[in-house]
Amino acid sequence: MVPPNPVIMRLIVLFVLCFWAAGCGRGPDRSNQVTDDLGRTVYLSSVPTRVVTLAPSVTEIVFAAGAGSLIAGVTDADDFPPEVDNLPRFSALPVDFEVVLSLEPDLALASDQVNSPNDAATLEAVGVPVYFFSVSRLEDIARTIRDAGALLNTASAADQLADSLTRSLAQLRVLTEELEERPSTLFLISDVTLYAFGQGSYIHDMIALAGGSSITVDLESRSPVLTDEFVLFEQPEVILGAFGSGYLPTSLLEYHPTWDVVPAVTGGRVYGVPADRYLRPGPRLVTGAWEMARLLHPGLVPAQ
Amino acid sequence: MKLWYGLLVFALLISVALAVALGEAVTLAEVGRVFWYRITLGHATAPDAIADRIVWNLRLPRAVLALVVGGGLASVGAAMQTLVRNPLAEPYILGISSGATAGASLFYLGFLPPLLSKNLSMPLAAFAGGLCAITIVYSVAGGRGRLSVARLLLAGVAIAALMASITSFITLSSPEPDKLRAVLFWLLGSLHHATWTLLPWPTLATLLGLAVLLLMAQPLDAMLLGDEPAHNLGVRVEHIKRLLIVVAALVTGSIVAASGAIGFVGLIVPHAVRSITGVTHRRLLPACFIVGALFLLWADLAARLLLPGEQLPVGIVTALCGVPFFLALLRRSDYGFG
Repeated sequence: MVPPNPVIMRLIVLFVLCFWAAGCGRGPDRSNQVTDDLGRTVYLSSVPTRVVTLAPSVTEIVFAAGAGSLIAGVTDADDFPPEVDNLPRFSALPVDFEVVLSLEPDLALASDQVNSPNDAATLEAVGVPVYFFSVSRLEDIARTIRDAGALLNTASAADQLADSLTRSLAQLRVLTEELEERPSTLFLISDVTLYAFGQGSYIHDMIALAGGSSITVDLESRSPVLTDEFVLFEQPEVILGAFGSGYLPTSLLEYHPTWDVVPAVTGGRVYGVPADRYLRPGPRLVTGAWEMARLLHPGLVPAQ
Repeated sequence: MKLWYGLLVFALLISVALAVALGEAVTLAEVGRVFWYRITLGHATAPDAIADRIVWNLRLPRAVLALVVGGGLASVGAAMQTLVRNPLAEPYILGISSGATAGASLFYLGFLPPLLSKNLSMPLAAFAGGLCAITIVYSVAGGRGRLSVARLLLAGVAIAALMASITSFITLSSPEPDKLRAVLFWLLGSLHHATWTLLPWPTLATLLGLAVLLLMAQPLDAMLLGDEPAHNLGVRVEHIKRLLIVVAALVTGSIVAASGAIGFVGLIVPHAVRSITGVTHRRLLPACFIVGALFLLWADLAARLLLPGEQLPVGIVTALCGVPFFLALLRRSDYGFG
């Protein structure tokens, strides 16, 4: 038998000690626990002072809640509000755990649209609690801002902004509620492959509030890929796409030549809109809803 | 045998008719009107414009593409199985499809210049990728003058994995999220891109491939006996093998460019057909073509009807119905190869 190599033995002992020490580390302090939007219990040691936001929409929510100064780092994809330009960055898809940890956060805020519970488990295992926001209705925006304010100890500022957003939506509702003519509307995420929103999305609330009726509201999948045939059959009067405001409606016809008889195309009502106001479930959805209303009912809705 | 072919062709016609007619958007009467209008070259009363687009510009080219892709993959699969004299072979296992996918995604994401129109450049890139993959596999396997089947399969699996990781890398490093989404969907295998302008190239390549394979039917039969007996029968084995590989890369590349990677058709169909027609290629290849075409047509119809209004990648359906059938076939004790 070969005698055990002393170096290897020492390494093994060192390893065991390390893991034992890690096990002795902080256990969850149950003094302050909250439940997030996914129903997970999140343990907070104290009021957070350094938070990282794992998705751009969450960054916007935190800034709207008046807690932007607590943010210690944002993802590579963040570009709003302008203050994020001065913040440290990390990759979010996949999450670069080492960079996140080096920012020494005491709370990570996540979006169920972007982040996976597996990533949350990894962060929690190293002592960073993760709180998930979930937005499936338009009114969730005000609620998540209030929740963020309560969580980060900026409740009064958060409530104020949430109130003003709610008021703005209510004003829009007054304008569009009684409209008889509600153009059937298709909202597209991408133009070549027809990604859209299915059931359970806030986008249908936005379309309804803007005085239209969404044609994908009843689709079973949450993120369906539509067929050309579906669009021909549904005959949308307006097509909105998150393709940016410089989008040429002719390119849509180039990818889907059979749509030359779709009312939105024949009537010249294909609009590219800035993606962030529609795809990021944050406070700017309210701007998006107003913009959508101006496109669906030109003349009826005044500039905000 | 004649009766079988008759039945198959009849089933094919019925299936195309069903594929075009089924779906909630258009009534049967309207489908009939569209066809009458198109057959009379516009002399009949014009049908509803929307029905015309749906039936003539979306469903019919899609059905034709299903026939071409299914038939092409199945007949190439049968020929590949003869090439390596192993029932495991198909374009996927030998790395051709993965190579073609890598080539096509390189082009799609803008890493290769568009030399010709998109409808031609993408198949070319896929063909080059597929040919590149199978050439590496073949040269590894044929190292000492003779082709070793074990090495061929192992090299095929390895190259397939390499090509798949290249595809993942290019896909993930694409700067445009919109194109990325499109590629991810296309990778799953789907026929929804079908248009009349897309069809000519894959159809031509597949029919050309089938014709070449049929011309080689006799040498292929001889090769089932093994390289040496085939050589003694006067077959130029190495020539035939090389030609087979180029044909397989050409057909698979064109198909992958048009429809993405649709699995299992090339593996399952030849097995099912062989148990009916026997191993003679003159009978096996055309039957494979028709049965493969039928199988994919039905799979695509199922994919279309399962989730109305939405795209369900047909590759999912072929795997879901193909694999249990394949396993059941394998359990049959009287099944043999070659």
